[in-house]
Amino acid sequence: MVAAAKPIHDHEHDHEHDHARERRMAWAKTAILIGLGLYFAYNIISGNLSNYINLRFGWLSYVAAALFFLLGGFSAYTLLRSRGEHAHDHEHGDHLHSAPSWGMIAVVAAPLVLGTLVPSRPLGAEAVGGIALNAAASQVSTGSVTMFTINPENRNVLDWLRVFNQTDDYGTLNNQPVDIIGFVYREPDFGADQFMTARFTISCCVADANAIGLPVVWADTASLPQGEWVHVRGTMQEGEFRGEPTALVHANSVEIIEAPQNPYLYP
Amino acid sequence: MTAETPSVFRRFALLALILLLAAAAILAVLTSSRDPAALLNIFTTRFLGIFLEAAPFLLLGALASGLIDAFIRPDDIARLTPRNPALATVAGAFMGFIFPVCECGVVPVVRRLYTKGLPISVGVTFLLAAPVINPVVLVSTYVAYGFGPVLIGRFVITIIVAVIIGLIFAIAARPRDVLRPATLEMLPQLLVAGGSPEATEADIIPVYEHAPRKPLGAGLRDALGTATNDFFDMGRYLIIGSMLAAAMQTFVPQEALTALGSGPVTSVLVMQVLAFLLSVCSTVDAFLSLAFVNTFTPGSIMAFLTFGPMVDIKSMLMFAGVFKPRVVAYLIILPFLLTLLIGIWINLNVSL
Repeated sequence: MVAAAKPIHDHEHDHEHDHARERRMAWAKTAILIGLGLYFAYNIISGNLSNYINLRFGWLSYVAAALFFLLGGFSAYTLLRSRGEHAHDHEHGDHLHSAPSWGMIAVVAAPLVLGTLVPSRPLGAEAVGGIALNAAASQVSTGSVTMFTINPENRNVLDWLRVFNQTDDYGTLNNQPVDIIGFVYREPDFGADQFMTARFTISCCVADANAIGLPVVWADTASLPQGEWVHVRGTMQEGEFRGEPTALVHANSVEIIEAPQNPYLYP
Repeated sequence: MTAETPSVFRRFALLALILLLAAAAILAVLTSSRDPAALLNIFTTRFLGIFLEAAPFLLLGALASGLIDAFIRPDDIARLTPRNPALATVAGAFMGFIFPVCECGVVPVVRRLYTKGLPISVGVTFLLAAPVINPVVLVSTYVAYGFGPVLIGRFVITIIVAVIIGLIFAIAARPRDVLRPATLEMLPQLLVAGGSPEATEADIIPVYEHAPRKPLGAGLRDALGTATNDFFDMGRYLIIGSMLAAAMQTFVPQEALTALGSGPVTSVLVMQVLAFLLSVCSTVDAFLSLAFVNTFTPGSIMAFLTFGPMVDIKSMLMFAGVFKPRVVAYLIILPFLLTLLIGIWINLNVSL
């Protein structure tokens, strides 16, 4: 309603001026819609989508890309057809819209600008606010007893923490083989030969990301750069970490690797 | 409807939020020992995460709202309303499933329904419930939280609160006490005098509801146009809201957030105020709330997900165009108190 409630001007000149401004805004909106469609398509094709959301819901991004192209394409078509005419954005029923403004257009362009200018990277060691050595602390359902049925060498960091949650006696895990990947995370109070192999878990998107990690004992820890992705092989041994009884990975090998295509674990 | 006041207020509120955001970010970067470039990267990742997950739902919501606007006439809704006032009030809570509208779309629909003779109480319940009780929000909440206590709680609490408030209006309110004179003038006279809606059904002076249905092509064109406008209109609230949420997660130390978010009462109040100020559309607010699940109490998350869709800056300004100021106050205070109480009760009694 507001969108159409343009003040009636006496001067034809003002009217022309308003009209041109309106068309510029409509073109800007069209460009943003198509740009957002391209941005979604790019994320899908490049695989960057996995830096942001749980791929279980990846199909929603296809929907979004299609709808952005539909709205943008329609908007462009309408503008091209009405060239030269005074095709006013006419009253749409009783819908309440605030008058379009450049500020509003700029705000909606923000994700496009940030998405294009800032290189896409998954959350890493820098984003760890607090790290959980406990799967329960990360909104993870721990109810499944099935964790024990996964072969130890096939367990990822999250599976291991679930096993920890179901274990009363860490001694029962002694000598089980460990084969995990994650990024290196260290804090000053860790032992000189200790680091954590950390992962982020996400349920829906990175907004609900939680850092989890397994403590690792490795003599050459000092040589590992914070945040670097590593492949850790070793055995589980009962012990203490930061003063708490737990089990630690005693590593036989720690190998620096490329970040995996899918950086997060989905609980 | 005053076109000027809302946009001035909104612009002011938006500007204040942006300034707050920028100030907080600058302060955080200056005082933090972490690398500013890395912080910007984390902030961007979190912000785009919410946006990428939410955008499809914002689009679907906008499209649904455009289609309703083009093809559904208030007659259709009025015809489906049961005659019994109590039953109608309960039915009002579920009408959103047939007419999915978020809080931006619901007020004009309700106003038009009143001119068709819809009982005040039914309109109030529909007004409060529809932004949550609809298929788009059902799916987005499911995507964000899965099937579980949050999804069920959000729907059940919304229905309870909306029906309670609707029933209060059913007992206590007459149209002339509730509606603004401008809206009242559009009502059939018998109804204003307290006659039953049935008696007036035939007497209603057609305003524009009896306009012929739009042909498919023209209707679709209008729907797409409306959807585009809606997307930009609602998109900015989503974008500013998710920037704020991402900024809080990135720049505010986790301990500080936990301190703010762990009190059983204060956490609920904080999330209610946040929901009110951010005015994020109900189709996507579930994704925004994810940013707080690690640091805030379950009751406060629930209050955010139930109070926000009923009342925020945006809807408050729209209420003011239809209802008398005293009623607008009730429509803010009653949902506020009820969701506050329920949120506190959840924090004290339920472990999710």
